[in-house]
Amino acid sequence: MSICFEKLSHEYSPGTPFAFLALKDINLTFAEGKMTAIIGATGSGKTTLVQHLNGLLLPTEGRVTVNDHVIEAGKKYPKIKDLRKGVGLVFQFAENQLFEETIIKDVSFGPKNFGATEEEARERAVRSLKIVGITEDMFEKSPLELSGGQKRRVAIAGILAMRPRILVLDEPTAGLDPQGAANMMELFKRINKENGITVLIVTHNMEHVLDYCDEVVVLGKGRLLMQTDISTFFENEEYMKKAGIDPPSIVRFKRFLKEKGLELPADVLSIEELAAEIAGRYRR
Amino acid sequence: MKNITLGQYIPLDSFFHRLDPRSKICAMVAMMIAVFIPAGFIGYALIGAILIMCVFISRLQVDFIIKAMKPMIFMMIFLFVVNIFVVKSGTLLVSFWIFNIYSGAIIETLYIVIRLLLMIMITTLLTATTKPMDLTLGLEHLMGPLEKIKVPTHDIAMMVALALRFIPTLIEEADRILKAQASRGVDLENGTLREKINAILSLIVPMFVSCFQRADDLADAMEARGYAVGAPRVRYKKLAFTAGDYIVIIGANLVLLAVIAIKIWVIK
Repeated sequence: MSICFEKLSHEYSPGTPFAFLALKDINLTFAEGKMTAIIGATGSGKTTLVQHLNGLLLPTEGRVTVNDHVIEAGKKYPKIKDLRKGVGLVFQFAENQLFEETIIKDVSFGPKNFGATEEEARERAVRSLKIVGITEDMFEKSPLELSGGQKRRVAIAGILAMRPRILVLDEPTAGLDPQGAANMMELFKRINKENGITVLIVTHNMEHVLDYCDEVVVLGKGRLLMQTDISTFFENEEYMKKAGIDPPSIVRFKRFLKEKGLELPADVLSIEELAAEIAGRYRR
Repeated sequence: MKNITLGQYIPLDSFFHRLDPRSKICAMVAMMIAVFIPAGFIGYALIGAILIMCVFISRLQVDFIIKAMKPMIFMMIFLFVVNIFVVKSGTLLVSFWIFNIYSGAIIETLYIVIRLLLMIMITTLLTATTKPMDLTLGLEHLMGPLEKIKVPTHDIAMMVALALRFIPTLIEEADRILKAQASRGVDLENGTLREKINAILSLIVPMFVSCFQRADDLADAMEARGYAVGAPRVRYKKLAFTAGDYIVIIGANLVLLAVIAIKIWVIK
């Protein structure tokens, strides 16, 4: 389950007055089974990048390799459906894609498209809905009756029901309340850990990156700025400045402690660890 | 879906871009009438020369105009084929099997094709150099006199403006939903009829839902900012004629007169 970008560029509307080079010469490999955050300012090419993963966008230069699928610039790829079966892509505001009369039907839509039988699709739908925390009494309701957060969960269940080996999430927590967003991140982490699914997540929330992800990829103006593991990234002030982001509160607190003369190890990145570390040092 | 050239505004800075939308609309009408006057190839040559000059003044790229004409190719071929069978005037040029091609057919087809091309050039010049909003504002002003006979010109203009405003937004939305459903295995190209209908439904239903939501939100947003149907309004943007506007209107009408003159004295 490897994902690899080689010298990939993507230009929108090439040859028109609206031509726009969204990605420039991206060389990138995503580690298998990890949870990677893709960050960068608005318009830095994050969404464009992830849409290459299941062939929604094709490179205008270079190539993408996802497992044994190789998509090269300027060539039509015949096995695109097979590729999409293995890569679940959850869009921004995914709740907008619901369309069936009932929740259960909507969630079974994906698996059925990829060749599952009616019962198989239903069974998978039930399981995915339970994973995202939608209870059985709601299965026969119309998706339109749900709240925004619930709709989002149903939409995500719709992707999970496809049983992808790679899960790509484009700002899955945008517009959710903090608790709902945290629950959702927990859910992705669980899917990542328990099923060994590679998770790529586009986000603006640095607390989430810090708390849940293993690796971070930073894009800026269509270029790859850096790819590194979480503790290195948050330890290095220079990196964060380069990425143009404000450090999460715990990183700021550690910096404050460092100024005051208390230096803590780089991998201490959660409140619990921090508390234990400090307590350990001052225990008589 | 992003390659729609016809009717697209190109943000540039040129003499035409700065003109008052009203004068551009008036000039367009005059030129359109001129195109419909059968003044032969001399008339078309005159209109064509003026329009090509206008394209250069407007700073639009020539291939943009050509691209706008592309959708007409099919229609032109169709017209040509029909005319060859139907028109039997002029001299017989070629005759083989059951086909007899007359010179009249060729000339007739050329007339129609040129007329279409000129019309596309005129409308492209207008829409590519005028923001949709300005266009509706101009239309509203020009429809002004109709208000006397109780035509709700402002409401019509507002509706047209909103519709135009949301075309790109809806295209973007459709593109996003299409991609989201494609990620769920929807395939619009292959599959049985039933599957295809389901595929289209998966696009249309979310589009409907989001359109209604958008309309609701927009109505609320407008009311929150004090918009009331039928209430008097003041304008942020005031339309004013400059010397250029008079030149364009007079110029377009001169072309129209010249074409009429050619029709009367030259072609007979």
